[in-house]
Amino acid sequence: MRRFSKLAAMAMAVLIGAPASAEEWAPKGSLTLEIGFAAGGTTDVIGRVLAKVMEEQTGWNIVAENRTGGGGIAMLTGIAKRPPRGDVIGMGVNMPVLAKLATDPDTMAFALDDLDYLGTVASTPIVIVARKDAPFDDMRSMIDYSIENGPISIGFIALGQRLVMEKVARETGAKFNLVAGEGSSETMKLILGGQVQAGFSSGEHFPFEDAGDMKEIATTAPERVSWAPDAPTFIESGIDIFFDPVFFIATTKGTDPAAVAALSQALDAAVATDEVAEAVRNAIRNDPKNLGSEGARQMMLDGLENFIALNN
Amino acid sequence: MVDIATILAGFSDAFTLEILLLVIFGVAVGQLVGAIPGIGPIMTMAIAIPFTFAMNPLTAIAFLVGVNKGGLVGGAIPAVLINTPGTPDAAATALDGYPLARQGKALKATKMALFSSITGDTFSDLVLITVSAPLAVLALRMGPVEVMALMIFAFAVLSGLMGDSLVKGMIAALLGLLMAAVGTDPEASTPRLIFGMWDLYDGLPLTAVAIGALAISEVIRRLAESSGSVDPAIQIASSGDPADDRVSWAEYWACRIVLLRGAVIGTVLGALPGIGTTAASFMSYAFTKASDKDPGSYGRGNIKGIAATESANSAVMGANMIPLLTLGIPGNVGAALIISAFMIHGMQPGPLLFESQGRLVYGLFGAMIMANFINLWIGQAGLRLWVRAISAPESVIYSAAILLCFVGVNMADGGLFSVVFMVIFAVLGYLMQSYGFPLVIFIISFFLGPRFELSIAQSLALTNGDLTQIYRYPVAVALLVMAAATTVWLMRKNAQSRARSEAVENKAAQEG
Repeated sequence: MRRFSKLAAMAMAVLIGAPASAEEWAPKGSLTLEIGFAAGGTTDVIGRVLAKVMEEQTGWNIVAENRTGGGGIAMLTGIAKRPPRGDVIGMGVNMPVLAKLATDPDTMAFALDDLDYLGTVASTPIVIVARKDAPFDDMRSMIDYSIENGPISIGFIALGQRLVMEKVARETGAKFNLVAGEGSSETMKLILGGQVQAGFSSGEHFPFEDAGDMKEIATTAPERVSWAPDAPTFIESGIDIFFDPVFFIATTKGTDPAAVAALSQALDAAVATDEVAEAVRNAIRNDPKNLGSEGARQMMLDGLENFIALNN
Repeated sequence: MVDIATILAGFSDAFTLEILLLVIFGVAVGQLVGAIPGIGPIMTMAIAIPFTFAMNPLTAIAFLVGVNKGGLVGGAIPAVLINTPGTPDAAATALDGYPLARQGKALKATKMALFSSITGDTFSDLVLITVSAPLAVLALRMGPVEVMALMIFAFAVLSGLMGDSLVKGMIAALLGLLMAAVGTDPEASTPRLIFGMWDLYDGLPLTAVAIGALAISEVIRRLAESSGSVDPAIQIASSGDPADDRVSWAEYWACRIVLLRGAVIGTVLGALPGIGTTAASFMSYAFTKASDKDPGSYGRGNIKGIAATESANSAVMGANMIPLLTLGIPGNVGAALIISAFMIHGMQPGPLLFESQGRLVYGLFGAMIMANFINLWIGQAGLRLWVRAISAPESVIYSAAILLCFVGVNMADGGLFSVVFMVIFAVLGYLMQSYGFPLVIFIISFFLGPRFELSIAQSLALTNGDLTQIYRYPVAVALLVMAAATTVWLMRKNAQSRARSEAVENKAAQEG
């Protein structure tokens, strides 16, 4: 089976005309996939399945490890600073990294150019959710409610989410108490327990929505999300803000081009499988999407400009 | 409500030969790695998860539960036998376990740890199986303000372990909190105290600090005390009295209140996500010590000390499944890994899990009960082996322990960077011990620090920056009152026992 998939990968490489050297490259020893988030989250689940599928397809020994800290910043810092051997790749989400690079570049030990991008896995839209019985149904009514009745408590887990709500408050006069949590599951707990009125979710609320305990208020994505057609975008709500978190995979800048090509090919082949698609759908109810190496780089650069604008 | 047919079907799914064998395998692996400092059940589960892809859901989860439960038992073994705990909660077990081992009662101590662990675990499993839904609703009502008050209460209880000097105890506690502040702040993700070391972005490596300060520092102490002769790691000055090798029913029964209290503390704290085993085992220990007629006997080999900590930390694990299965909210890393296993098999734990996957959930309960029995059985057999292994020469045991610590930390916390911190904290731990600063207080506040800080930040946000609003949270107020009362009670108790020991010393001086 493994030999067959290797052959298939080779045939595919020939068909799409990849450089021959990429096929010859293989990691010396094992390849580590560092996941920038803790075990049990959506990034972790998708990352582990991805690592397994890549391992089956390439025959490389791939180890998935969680490297938490600052929403992937610690992981990417480590990757940016390592010698470029092509033996460690990292999976993160663009948003926390871009938010930090936009607001606080001096405290960051790397810039976007310190990484070689291998591709993306999927975009993971973020929505604001509230308990079913909350006295507002969408972004606009939430803002109005807070202006009339005093601050609304909002659970968040990442700096980018905080920046967005601060921008909304500045532009509309709404008042929010922003309550940090250790992970989306904590935000869900705070919402269910009634300690906060609303909070950010990237899919962790699905079981509660299915059970009729929660509703979707708005999405930060540029367009409405397929699984939340009733949640308006921020732009529709009259607030000119959007962001679209994307799972991306990168390695150290200056890695042998043959290695980068082989790695990004392996990633592309894995993202195209049904197994990865199923894991992505289970975790975030979205389809996988690989923008490719260059597409991933452009996505990061555009996203950074977007966040710089958001912070002003 | 799940109907009885589903429950029976679930249990009959669990009681099959395949699951039995995998649970036996999981428990055996868990006990083995639990006994190796630094590796531990969490890491083993993380490694094992990819191997469970191919299994059916119940088999996979049963195996992981076996590893987790086996690890709980295994963790106490090195703590008791050679005083090198790999985790803070095992450090609480070592407080009385190791003195007992030195008295030649190694088997008695480890057996008590095993029995207590299984008692606590079974208690919280039963709570999970019977009343998890209402408990989960109660746990949800515990918001950030209540958790902050609970942490203050925990610190108040733990002050009972401060030892003789209040000043040294406070210094150790504050040092622990300071170390916990290393990393990024929870609200604005601004790096603090990392001195340009980006690997510290997520804080000091937990395993490295715990193993360095608790286990390696003990090895350093042994080295400093060694005289060059070849001694076994543990002097089994076996009295030849078989009573020293077993736990009689009377001894177990005498600990019933202690065990029950530990199990309740563990279950309550376990049902609240994010607090963890450390607070539970130390709070149980501190309560047991403070309420005993003879608190001076603790730390010198009182079997109740082992009962208190092991029942509490094992009870946390079962209770951690309460928020996980009823709400889909993992209580700790172990539970988070089990969620991963669920999600990989396409199931999303949450409020509908009992309805949509009732059969699987009851299968899991069946596997948990099975794992408890197997834990007892394998533990009984394994302990004899461990106790025998430990009678090898000190030089062999401690060099093996150092090697395992280095390898374990290297694997668990990501590389040599963490090993360096392990060594730094080993030296710090040794110095603290030598100068009479309570090391356990340092470690507890280091482990509780991040959650304490986050709960303060959350409470400030919720109260609009005005903590005097706390009067609107009755549970929090009650906890704070309890904290104040506990502090006063403990200080009195301490003063009394000090006066008593001074009186004894004076008397001895006069007679001498």
